[in-house]
Amino acid sequence: MNCEIFREMIGSYVDETLEEGRRLWFRTHLRECPTCREAALREEPSLLFAMAPVAPVEPEAIDVCTAAVLGRIRQDRLERRLHRRRRPWMAAAAAAIIIVSGGIAWRTMVGGGSGNLQPALEVQRNAERQNSPPTVEVEMPGEEVRVYQFANDENGDTAVYFIVDPALEL
Amino acid sequence: MVKENLCVQIAGFGSRDEVVMNDLQRIQSARKGDEDAYAELVKRHSGGLHRTVARILADDTEAWDVVQMAFLKAWQKLDRYDPRYSFTTWLYRIGTNLAIDLLRSRTSRERAHKAGTEHRLRLVGTGEGAGTRADSNETDNVLQQLVGVLTPQQRSAFVLREMEGLETAEVAQVLGCSATTVRNHIFQARKALRRELRVRFPEYLPASERG
Repeated sequence: MNCEIFREMIGSYVDETLEEGRRLWFRTHLRECPTCREAALREEPSLLFAMAPVAPVEPEAIDVCTAAVLGRIRQDRLERRLHRRRRPWMAAAAAAIIIVSGGIAWRTMVGGGSGNLQPALEVQRNAERQNSPPTVEVEMPGEEVRVYQFANDENGDTAVYFIVDPALEL
Repeated sequence: MVKENLCVQIAGFGSRDEVVMNDLQRIQSARKGDEDAYAELVKRHSGGLHRTVARILADDTEAWDVVQMAFLKAWQKLDRYDPRYSFTTWLYRIGTNLAIDLLRSRTSRERAHKAGTEHRLRLVGTGEGAGTRADSNETDNVLQQLVGVLTPQQRSAFVLREMEGLETAEVAQVLGCSATTVRNHIFQARKALRRELRVRFPEYLPASERG
């Protein structure tokens, strides 16, 4: 009885006019009944593809995929963090350049100086910059401890990133 | 989402409503930055998405790259996810779009190379009713060799509807087109595959059809 119904449905299935519930029943019967499968393929060879059962995916492949996705999410977050960290530095640098060049221009216009900063002052500022310690930021998402170290020199956008395992005994 | 193959795969997790609920809870947590909750979503859906994308691309390895990219993109856009719709539909839309983009970007040289390295299939048997004994890998292998005759949209529609068992409305949501367009893609794909099957794989036809 089921087989008769199935064979009457083949045309409607192929024409995409079968109601979704009946379509599901048709596909199940196609997989389960060898005789009807033979009849269906005779009428429509492309029904071969409707028979494809679920091929199981290796659990290891899923684990690898999950680890890769999480790794990329963390890398993405770090990149965005570093990008944000750079921005205020760049804004401050831009502001400093504007102020200094504005000052020099003003002094040149009013004729109050040679237009150059005093060399002694510049040397002192460089020494201060080099002696300042690096900025360290610590983040603790979940179990791991992340340490970001930002260099405070002219290459201020350079950062070192550590992941510390809290289980390790120092 | 009525997706018979996916339902089989996730049967162990409980009822469909329960699965959807768990997905929603995980998405809420992931939106707050909970990576573990998102890892669970990846574990739950990566297998099914990979199978679909691998069938569309006809390439198992490339499919894993697309799956990873889809999950990364979904993470970046979690705020835009509308919980009124199924997470699976949303995720499959991202994955399918990436797969279609990849297909479009493949050069004709790559396609020619792929066609040239085709090999004949190891058949389950060539006797009476050989076609009826094709297992999953065999069916996928046949598709892999014939899918080149379809456009990216036809491939995607056919794989989602005919192989993964999605409803027409769901395929339309995933592909971002109308149900009528989906039916048209399926019709064209079936027509092309029917022709290619008769010419290149008569072994899969019933004995009376082989000539």
